[in-house]
Amino acid sequence: MQRSAFQTMQQIGLALFGAFVLAGGALAQSSIPVVEVKTAIGADGVRPGNSLKVAAVASIARAYHINDHRPTLDYLIPTEWKIEPSKQVSVEKVVYPKGQLKKFAFSDKQLSVYEGTLMVGVLLKVDRKTPPGTYALKGQFIYQACNDHACLPPKTVPVNLVVKVVGRGAAVKRANADVLNNVQFD
Amino acid sequence: MKQAKVLIGAVLAIVVVAGLYFINRYWIVPATVVHTAKAAGNRPLAPDFSLIDLNGRKLDLADYKGKVVLLDFWATWCGPCRIEIPGFIKLQERYRDQGLVILGVYIDDNAESVRDFYREFKMNYAVAAGDQRLVELYGGILGLPTTFLIGRDGRIYSKHAGATDVSVFEDEIKELLAAQPTAEAAAFKQAGEVRAAEQIELGDPAEIDSEVPGVNLSKLKPDQVALFKKVLEGQQCNCGCKLNLLKCRISDRACGVSRRPAREQLEKFIKPTV
Repeated sequence: MQRSAFQTMQQIGLALFGAFVLAGGALAQSSIPVVEVKTAIGADGVRPGNSLKVAAVASIARAYHINDHRPTLDYLIPTEWKIEPSKQVSVEKVVYPKGQLKKFAFSDKQLSVYEGTLMVGVLLKVDRKTPPGTYALKGQFIYQACNDHACLPPKTVPVNLVVKVVGRGAAVKRANADVLNNVQFD
Repeated sequence: MKQAKVLIGAVLAIVVVAGLYFINRYWIVPATVVHTAKAAGNRPLAPDFSLIDLNGRKLDLADYKGKVVLLDFWATWCGPCRIEIPGFIKLQERYRDQGLVILGVYIDDNAESVRDFYREFKMNYAVAAGDQRLVELYGGILGLPTTFLIGRDGRIYSKHAGATDVSVFEDEIKELLAAQPTAEAAAFKQAGEVRAAEQIELGDPAEIDSEVPGVNLSKLKPDQVALFKKVLEGQQCNCGCKLNLLKCRISDRACGVSRRPAREQLEKFIKPTV
């Protein structure tokens, strides 16, 4: 039986961090999570000196949207995935898709927003001198959700990564192509 | 024969009149009284608060007794909140002399952004930063904007969750302004359909100010509180935070997942199994 990309990812011990963790804001938190974030790693390991594609997959609840990484209006809180690089693993690129332009009751202008499923890609680069092992990277996914008539507080949820570095001659197997092919890294 | 018919008619009329009297006396009137009493009971007193506004002035809700207060929880990053503000400015201008006071409480926002907005929109009412305690006192605000209308008697008459047309506020304000100072606006009715999020439920200060947020420890003596906290420290929180129940309640006081087991633990603690 063929395993799904996410199951594969879990089995090989790479990262999958679901995130409903609450930000420290004053607003009360709804019991219904509006955004769920998971990660998809492009391979079961990476050799020193090579790059690795990863993505954060955010599922946004129906009727809600989160702001574009480059929001239409300056007062809107942009969606962002921040990853702290380490000595061994650097962040080469973070790729956000273009949002959808939508008109809402509360705005005269069309706003660029994300709805449904959002995939944010990150290209990691492993330093050439990195010995085999697993390397954790801390990350934060920042978003602020609204529907047509109300907004929820901005949230920062931990979306971390664990990168498995293998030896120079070791074989690596690609994973999560179904997710990562949707991200325009180039 | 004719006399008998008249007699029966008269008796029937007396029975009907007497019946109507008893129905009115023992059924309709008490029901009306109960309904009125219930309506007053459904309008809780607005929790007092004391804040410092953007201009450094003290903002005490108690100072506005006898006025109609529109209390708006909002933020500058919230589009639906921003769209309401010009309407509030007009309402404040139009009804200030009749006793309307609008108070803006910003949440999860920074003072600098709020100041810029205040100047840009030429806001004509007091704006102050809200905090966790205030949000909890007002029943936990799930989204912004959330607006409360407080009558001259200091009671909350309506709660509007989400952007609401200014005409709705204006109708309600006019009704509340018409009440005598400090008197109940007995005939007040919230405009439109009242959604679940607009039910007025306030927080309990005994739970909000508790050493274990969300759990009322007022029945416990200090040594029992210490013991109860130890019990919670020995329990794992099931919200996914990987903390013990006590730390979880303290670090995320708004979390409903950990609140229930903490309250259940208190019940067990107070009534230990025999």
